[in-house]
Amino acid sequence: MRHLIFAFTTGVLLAAAPAAGAQTVGFADAIKILAASCGKDIESYCKSATLANNGITQCLAQNEAKVSQKCNADRVVVISLIQERLAAQAEAPKLCNRDAQQYCKGVQPGAGHILRCLLKAAPSVSKKCNTAIDLAGYR
Amino acid sequence: MKNFALAGVAAVFLGLSVSGGIAQTKLSRNEIINSLQGAQQKVDLTADELQKAAIENIEKYPGANAPQSLPLADKLASLRQFNVEITFDFDSARIRPESYETVGLIADALHTPYLQGQTFFIVGHTDAKGARDYNLELSRKRAQAVREALVTTFRVPGEYLFAVGLGEEQLRDPANPDAAVNRRVQLINLGYK
Repeated sequence: MRHLIFAFTTGVLLAAAPAAGAQTVGFADAIKILAASCGKDIESYCKSATLANNGITQCLAQNEAKVSQKCNADRVVVISLIQERLAAQAEAPKLCNRDAQQYCKGVQPGAGHILRCLLKAAPSVSKKCNTAIDLAGYR
Repeated sequence: MKNFALAGVAAVFLGLSVSGGIAQTKLSRNEIINSLQGAQQKVDLTADELQKAAIENIEKYPGANAPQSLPLADKLASLRQFNVEITFDFDSARIRPESYETVGLIADALHTPYLQGQTFFIVGHTDAKGARDYNLELSRKRAQAVREALVTTFRVPGEYLFAVGLGEEQLRDPANPDAAVNRRVQLINLGYK
């Protein structure tokens, strides 16, 4: 993992980088929408489903006809919010690679050292990289 | 007290407060990061060893309550760690919707470069109500449920996360073994492999 600037998640996602200017939200903010919009439906129809393996959103989808309209709308949103944040975090190290080489020479990778350096150098760092850091939720 | 009265309430907690009995402020990602980061080099302890130590503690010192804490207690106490409250269905490892956000916060923290690449134990604890072996098993399943949610739904790399259940073998407040403060999910940073 030495050479990974951010040591990002094992390349799972297809790197659908969010469009420039788009925003992403954190995992907690995403999943709490599910609890808020679908809490009742979860307790009614998904008593044996679990949070793991997207079990709750899958169960809600299977019970689509019964769950509330708001829940049906939001359960889809929650999944895409999580995917967008994951994609942004996978992209950030790549989009900041050049800046890291330029402004963080000699900084030892790991434990967030490079990120700290980039945050400190934010005024000089490229817009591309700064945006990537924002979208990854790393600021 | 056979019937692991794990609590008389509908939902049992395996979790608890953020830092003693201080008035709780809302948990944040950065609070988790700050408590967990800065691990020293590699720690020589595997999740299996810790799990085994808890089981041996029950075998070696049977009884309603553990007469002493785990031999590994000092070692664990020296590591970077954080306690969170996560609520589960009664007598079950199913995470309740009100705790989704907390699990999401753990994912947010573990996905930052500050913590990536380090190894973490997710340790479940109960209070001392009920049978010790039952508590140990339930806490283990609950720790696994948290790990599974993090690894699958939130894509935290699984090779760095290990679930352990310590039941009531490592009480946070041994003077008050049945206190809620003992029910918790503990995240422990074992450092870089």
